[in-house]
Amino acid sequence: MIIFLAGIAAGILGAALGIGGGVFLVPLLNLGLGFSITAAAAISLATVIATSTTVTAGRVGGELINVRLAMVLESATAAGSVLGGVTAQLIAQSTLQKMFGLVAAIVALTTLARSSRRNVTHDVTLDPGILGARIHDDDTGQTAVYRVRRLPLAVAASFVAGNISSLLGIGGGIVKVPVLNAWCGIPLRAAAATSAFMIGVTATGGALIYYGSGQLVPSAAAAAVLGVQVGSWAGIRAAGKVPVRVLKLTLSAVLAVVSILMLVRGFQ
Amino acid sequence: MSVTSDEEVLRLERQIGVVLRIGIAASTLCLVAGLGLRALKSTAADGFLGVGIVVLIATPAARVALSLVSFLKERDRLFALLTAIVLAELGASVVAALIFHAKL
Repeated sequence: MIIFLAGIAAGILGAALGIGGGVFLVPLLNLGLGFSITAAAAISLATVIATSTTVTAGRVGGELINVRLAMVLESATAAGSVLGGVTAQLIAQSTLQKMFGLVAAIVALTTLARSSRRNVTHDVTLDPGILGARIHDDDTGQTAVYRVRRLPLAVAASFVAGNISSLLGIGGGIVKVPVLNAWCGIPLRAAAATSAFMIGVTATGGALIYYGSGQLVPSAAAAAVLGVQVGSWAGIRAAGKVPVRVLKLTLSAVLAVVSILMLVRGFQ
Repeated sequence: MSVTSDEEVLRLERQIGVVLRIGIAASTLCLVAGLGLRALKSTAADGFLGVGIVVLIATPAARVALSLVSFLKERDRLFALLTAIVLAELGASVVAALIFHAKL
């Protein structure tokens, strides 16, 4: 029951802030409820798969999810996640906690500093290429076109995202989305939607390994999955009512606290 | 070498949507039933929870397999290769899981 409530809390925060709930669920389970960090990551990965599946089931076929691009990048995220899952079995719990603290701090800082840049052109004669796409631009009401630039960088970022996803039990969108948006020419909403589609497959690579090694406790995972589903449903509805700036500041503050707690525990 | 048309990709996306919906509905039902039975101290609880988790994990893998079949049918070698690589990586993950399981 407590795990179910933790799932709800993580789901609300994650959905409202547009990042998966994993970055909140793992510290709640590890620091709050006394699960080992590998058990917490395993449970969190199960919730990542559930969220990705639920969110994208209704949106795939729409224009924001770029399925071709997702399939190119998944080959890198899945490789990263298999490697991360194996690594997580072999290194010390305290090392994982230190890594989690570090990643949370970096995410907190980039959230504060991130500026979203516009990547589309309204010249509809531009060929989007095999990986680019045409989308509807809500801001201007016109059709917009984007091409994918610096594909090797996108692949590299996806590999790192997959690796961190498995090691720490988070979705990894937090690593990919800023790179895809800032350097690879992909509009923010398309990058986020495509990433949400990919993280289900990414998390599967890691979740399988945690399941095989007996670290994925089915009853705890079930409670967390159901909690996150309920929480995300509520979070998505709450998000529209709160100004983006408030959301970003809240996210940074919460992550800073998470980071400090994880680092302190990791060095103890 | 042929490239899958945008219409074919859209058809594939609709099929993926169906697979994802079925997967998440089936796994959620099993997980709810499992937790319910557990609260009633039934011995069937673990079975439902296990099936729910396995269906959950298998759902993304199923949509990759579906994509592979679709790209093979379209003779789209590049994307068939890419999806085959993803499936092979998930296969490697299963092998690693079995190795760690054997060590338990």
